[in-house]
Amino acid sequence: MIGLEHYIIVSCLLFSIGFFGVLLRKNTLVIYMCLELMLNASNLALVAFSRYNGGMGGNVFVFFIITVAAAEVAVGLAIIVALFRKRQTVEVEELNTLKN
Amino acid sequence: MPTEYLQQIAESNSWGAIGPELGLGILALLLLGLEILLPKVAHSVIPRIAVIGQLAILASLLWGGMSDATVGEAFGGMIRFDETGQIFRIFFLITSVFVSYLGMVSLDRKTLPQIEYFHILLVVTAALMLLAQANHFVMLFVALETATVGFYILVSYFRDTVVSLEAGLKYLIMGALSSAILLFGIVLLYGAGSNPALMGSSTDPMNFGNLSRFLSANPADTLGLLGMLLVLSGIAFKIGAFPFQIWVPDVYQGAPIPTTALLAIGSKAAGFAMLMRLVDVFSPLGDWIYPLLSALAALTILFGNLAALTQRNLKRLMGLSGVSHAGFLMLGVIASRTVEWASTAVMFYLFAYLLASIAVFAVLAHIEGTSDSELSLDDLGDLAKRNGFLGLALAVGIGSLAGIPPLAGFIGKLLIFVAAFQAEHYGLLGVAVVGVVISIYYYFGVIKAAFFEAWRFSEDEEQGEEPIPGARLGFFGKLAIVAVVAGTIIIGFYQGPLSSLLAGG
Repeated sequence: MIGLEHYIIVSCLLFSIGFFGVLLRKNTLVIYMCLELMLNASNLALVAFSRYNGGMGGNVFVFFIITVAAAEVAVGLAIIVALFRKRQTVEVEELNTLKN
Repeated sequence: MPTEYLQQIAESNSWGAIGPELGLGILALLLLGLEILLPKVAHSVIPRIAVIGQLAILASLLWGGMSDATVGEAFGGMIRFDETGQIFRIFFLITSVFVSYLGMVSLDRKTLPQIEYFHILLVVTAALMLLAQANHFVMLFVALETATVGFYILVSYFRDTVVSLEAGLKYLIMGALSSAILLFGIVLLYGAGSNPALMGSSTDPMNFGNLSRFLSANPADTLGLLGMLLVLSGIAFKIGAFPFQIWVPDVYQGAPIPTTALLAIGSKAAGFAMLMRLVDVFSPLGDWIYPLLSALAALTILFGNLAALTQRNLKRLMGLSGVSHAGFLMLGVIASRTVEWASTAVMFYLFAYLLASIAVFAVLAHIEGTSDSELSLDDLGDLAKRNGFLGLALAVGIGSLAGIPPLAGFIGKLLIFVAAFQAEHYGLLGVAVVGVVISIYYYFGVIKAAFFEAWRFSEDEEQGEEPIPGARLGFFGKLAIVAVVAGTIIIGFYQGPLSSLLAGG
């Protein structure tokens, strides 16, 4: 029997994978995918809580999160493309114009 | 049944009360419309329309005041109108007016499209104003993200320079990361608060009132504690508190000057608007929150000041000194647990910080010659001699940030320190005083660079005439700078009107 805690464990796992991906990966696009993974981990947990605890608030919130994530991707990819045109790279280690 | 429920919610929609935000949205669309309709030669009038529109909205907010009808919850509990929210609305509008002015100065030098900058600025301001009044986590998250996505664009707006794009990318990654952490915290709080097995649970625990009731019934709930921790971490990112301040210097340096000003003032104030509301909501968990915030505040003050000591780049210096100001503001928030008027002191400090920062950024925007992101102390050489007006504005701005009496920044720091003293946070107060002493050293470095003759190699003197800074300072530019400088000095001497407004006038 799959219960609430199973969904929450998967969601926490997804969130951790995303979090450590953002910290450890070097490619900007992969980092961006990890950020999306973190948002989707929240979506999964919201739907699970909403289903098991009753109440539609969580389900409705998911729609808002998906919308926000779409807006974020649109702007984020535009910035990454513009930067790639200037520097011909998306590796974070090579993007080091700004420093002390 | 459901229709009755929906009708009931629809009746609580008081559209008139969010008139200023709606007005800003309409104004933002109007700017884009005008760009299509007006001939190209007349485009320079559009930013002025933006400023005039914002001033009109500000005037209606200031003189309209608050009627009893606009106090309390509205939109089905999504928004709560109160004095604090009202003051933050005024704060964000004033910020946006001055940032529009800085935008006019900086964008004039570029061949980039200009109107979109003001469009996005207005949308961000409206989102920040809604954020300060949010009473529900859905409202809080959506308003916060609207503002943050707008910030991504504003930071990378100078898309012809690598630094601006790189700052945009860094802000994007860090901002999205902090939003994801904040969101996961909200989800955990939702999961804890909607659990029907626990006392005080409700079907809508994302409402701040319901959540607060739940937390006071279950102060030791693990899920709730974890959620609270993640939400506070997300907010700490926004205000640039230690250890989440890593993005601050890079992003401040790379962003265009008007955006840097908006980040320094608007984004930080938005973080504190959220923090002050949520500290209230989380007050049943006070034994966890306040020690945590105290440790963060002490580290933030020390880190900000020590890191700023060796900075020569002016925008990085402003960023790192802004980190330490966030620490002082956190001190005020901590004191507000026991001393009721401490939140007034926090808002006074924010207003003083607004005026002083705008003065400094306006001077930076007018210094020409080097690229925006490379402005360093050397570029200030003899500023006072080359343009006394800008030199004076810089001295007042920096002096107020450093907390030199009788300027506004001094009174702001004094109020916060007195509040912390009354709340008996002696250790933190000691750290804060050490922080102020350190900060005076680097702030005076800036004043020294601007006022005292720089020692130069003899070859340097053979260079041709340097451009006169502030040559394009028009009437309105002077007016804006005079306004912030006069504001800083007057509030320093006479706090009557502002403090009565902040205390709930």
